[in-house]
Amino acid sequence: MRDGINLALLGIPAVALITEEFWPQGDFVAQSLGMPDIPRVQLPHPVAGTGEARMGEIAEQVVDAIIKQFMPVKAS
Amino acid sequence: MSALLESVDEAQALEQLHALGCTDGLPVVIPTVARVTRMVLASGLDADLLLGEMGPMMGSATVQKVAVAAVMAGALPDYMPVIIAAVKAVIAPQFDLTEMQATTHCTAPLIIVNGPARFDCGPVASGFGALGPGHRANASIGRALRLAMMNIGGARPGSSDMALLGHPGKFTYCLAEDEEHSPFPPMHVGLGYASSDSVVTVIGAEAPHSVLFSCDADDPQEAENFLAQLAVGIANMATNNAILTGGAAVVVLNPEHAEVFARAGLTREAVRQRLWTLTHLPIAQLRQYGGAFADRFAGREGDYRAFNQPEDILILVAGGSGLYSMVMPSWCAGAHHNSAVSMAIDNNQFCEIPSVSVSEQ
Repeated sequence: MRDGINLALLGIPAVALITEEFWPQGDFVAQSLGMPDIPRVQLPHPVAGTGEARMGEIAEQVVDAIIKQFMPVKAS
Repeated sequence: MSALLESVDEAQALEQLHALGCTDGLPVVIPTVARVTRMVLASGLDADLLLGEMGPMMGSATVQKVAVAAVMAGALPDYMPVIIAAVKAVIAPQFDLTEMQATTHCTAPLIIVNGPARFDCGPVASGFGALGPGHRANASIGRALRLAMMNIGGARPGSSDMALLGHPGKFTYCLAEDEEHSPFPPMHVGLGYASSDSVVTVIGAEAPHSVLFSCDADDPQEAENFLAQLAVGIANMATNNAILTGGAAVVVLNPEHAEVFARAGLTREAVRQRLWTLTHLPIAQLRQYGGAFADRFAGREGDYRAFNQPEDILILVAGGSGLYSMVMPSWCAGAHHNSAVSMAIDNNQFCEIPSVSVSEQ
């Protein structure tokens, strides 16, 4: 989350990837750093150490959600 | 200015503080206006003086807010100069407090006190059981820093402090060096301070690990054997020091163990240098145990260094004399790789406050 915010502060579009175990911490950090609405996508936990096949599965699950976060918001 | 809470009595106030998540789980002294004011007065500093920001919440650590933590921890006003110095040390950028508070690793700030403040602002225990219960200054100075880290820095288990298990030193973790029973000059002198200075050194550290060594003055290999034992303690393959590398570690020698080095003619610097050499470890071993952390040595053989430099191994003397010394490996991460930070204790500002009975508070 902090990395995502730091990138956003540099003007680089960023989406934070946060596992479900760390989702509340992500909210806390986003609030603390004054960017509560930073785009984020939830991943299952754990990701690290689960092997390439499982990471591929997770990537398949979330890739659309990540791309969607980068798309412009339509004016209502 | 700190927010004020209202309650009908101290019992209700305590429950309120527990419910708000402002305690460490144990009862606290209720930080009434009178108690906090007295604690601020003892510091000799302005209540609104900003010491810095504490992450991850980036709360403003004013003298008054630190005084609130000190009161809650049960500290005496005499301890305030040490508490203020400890807070300033963890706020220093090189301490990486925000990252340390948020890590999944079990790390807590170990506070080491050197110099006259050990007596003037305590006594801060350095002998038998210095890291255990029964020493008011040790218990409440470390606890005050923890409560400041929780209530000013916003560290809460499972939502902002992500330590998977933590360790008991997260309640309090403070001791003094036993300079009087050390064969070496005081630790802070080696860090560039005068022996008459009072200094806190704070380092994010794991819980203490015992190192058993049976002295044998007839064995010409005694010191070398002990060094090998300590090296295993600070950088065995289960530690971040061996896997992540580049961090710091603490060695607490009991006076009897320190004498092993003295009779071998080894200075603190020589001990540190040898420990640094003995913690050069085989890359093949890291490959076996370190998983992807070994990738940075891809295509290389030979040894790697657990510590970048000998100075990253802090050595002090404390505890009762006997078979056991202590080592504390560290987290080794953050932008500054979990470095130790020393801060002079300014007790020239300290004001002696006449004691007042609890009923008058």
